Amino acid sequence: MIKTRKKDLFAVFFSTLLFLGLSVAEESKAQLERTLADDNPSVELTFMAPKHINLYTTELLSRGEFHYSIMHTFGEINSGYQNLWGIDNGANVRFYFEYGLNDRTNLAFSRTSQDKLIQFIGRRSITEQKRDSGSPVSVNMNLSIGVNTSDLSFLADSYSFSDRLNYTVSLSAARKFSEKLSILISPVYTHFARTGPEVSIDDPDTQHYFSAASGFRYNILPRAAITVQSVVPISNPDLTPNLGIGFDVETGGHVFQMFFTTSRALNEPYLIAGENGSLLDSELRFGFNINRLFKLHD
Amino acid sequence: MNKVTTVLFAILFGVTVYNAHAQEYTSAEGYVEFVSTAPLLEFKGVSDQLHGLIDLDQNLVDYYVDLNTLETGIRRRDRDMRNSYLETDRFPFAEFTGELTKGLEQIRAGDLPANVEASGIFTMRDIGRDVAVEGTISAGEGGGLLLEASWIVRLEDYDIDRPSVLFYELSEEQTINIRIQLKQTN
Repeated sequence: MIKTRKKDLFAVFFSTLLFLGLSVAEESKAQLERTLADDNPSVELTFMAPKHINLYTTELLSRGEFHYSIMHTFGEINSGYQNLWGIDNGANVRFYFEYGLNDRTNLAFSRTSQDKLIQFIGRRSITEQKRDSGSPVSVNMNLSIGVNTSDLSFLADSYSFSDRLNYTVSLSAARKFSEKLSILISPVYTHFARTGPEVSIDDPDTQHYFSAASGFRYNILPRAAITVQSVVPISNPDLTPNLGIGFDVETGGHVFQMFFTTSRALNEPYLIAGENGSLLDSELRFGFNINRLFKLHD
Repeated sequence: MNKVTTVLFAILFGVTVYNAHAQEYTSAEGYVEFVSTAPLLEFKGVSDQLHGLIDLDQNLVDYYVDLNTLETGIRRRDRDMRNSYLETDRFPFAEFTGELTKGLEQIRAGDLPANVEASGIFTMRDIGRDVAVEGTISAGEGGGLLLEASWIVRLEDYDIDRPSVLFYELSEEQTINIRIQLKQTN
């Protein structure tokens, strides 16, 4: 009798559990489980623009996007108030146009006043920093061919087209450490096909230049950051290193970059081979970049 | 006691049969767009990653989208929206959970299309607000349902700042349009 009751109680207990289990199962289906489309996305907005003062960043355009930048540097600020601290002195201006061929490859064209340099540039993403596992840095490769289009007819030795060329390859490796801090390291190599006093570089006898560039951005406000760049010559240690310190303001599609730098240069080959002023003698120049982004097509 | 056991098994059988005929629909594909209409600029953030569920027995309407999948056509703007305004690292989902307050019986009876209204909570950035959403449910592909709805949200209700220095003018009111194909899952 007792044995039978135990069996019945077990049956009731088991049935109740089963019923409750089904009820709970039904209840748990009430809401959809929230799942992320990508649980390890790439880190975004390591820098505000494709340029960091004068260096390339790891920011690339998407397919169909178009980036326009106008860059300036002026005379040395130690030229005094009569020259509005360099603003009245000859500006170096660079017009820069970049197009997103696809999400990983960009093509660019630019023209700089200094040596009337026209450049054709390709930028390619090698890897992207991931939020969790995966690559800890973003890396791009940048290639450019420049043509010095200055009038050099005054020279006794004529310049052929190939004499006017320079070639630059650089890597941009960057990591966004936090919403505030991003760091960039960029080895840069440049070769000038022909050099001489007519080319605006520091050492007219040297055709090969290798430098280690670096920079960082630190956000002091959600849309404003302090920026610093340095370029240390490796292959030509007698050259003066470049230093720049700036302030970026971002307004969505526009990025305004204002800076003081020791160089007049606005592009990589002249940045690493060009003349740099001394900080101790206030041989700094004011400069600014205005960056704008458009969508050309899907 | 045998009777009790029998009754319990009968209940279980009933529950099983009931579940076999439950009317639950989940999304096969879903589309959502956030439309910003400012005086000088209209643009959309769109995603085809809208997931949804309609359970006619429990009278439950539930859908969500991972805001990381929103695209406005310019990646730089997408990144800006995600990082500066929506903060999708911390608050990845926009979601609605509620119930049909109009049209439920019509849908249960299979009388489609039906004008419907759902009341519930729409949540973004972990801030939930009561909303009433009007839309239509019509016959979908393969015996499923097609839900289309639209409503307006105010950004300040969800503590979303608008750009103070403009490059894109972002409207304070965003029109949300959704379209989900739902298929019966049991």
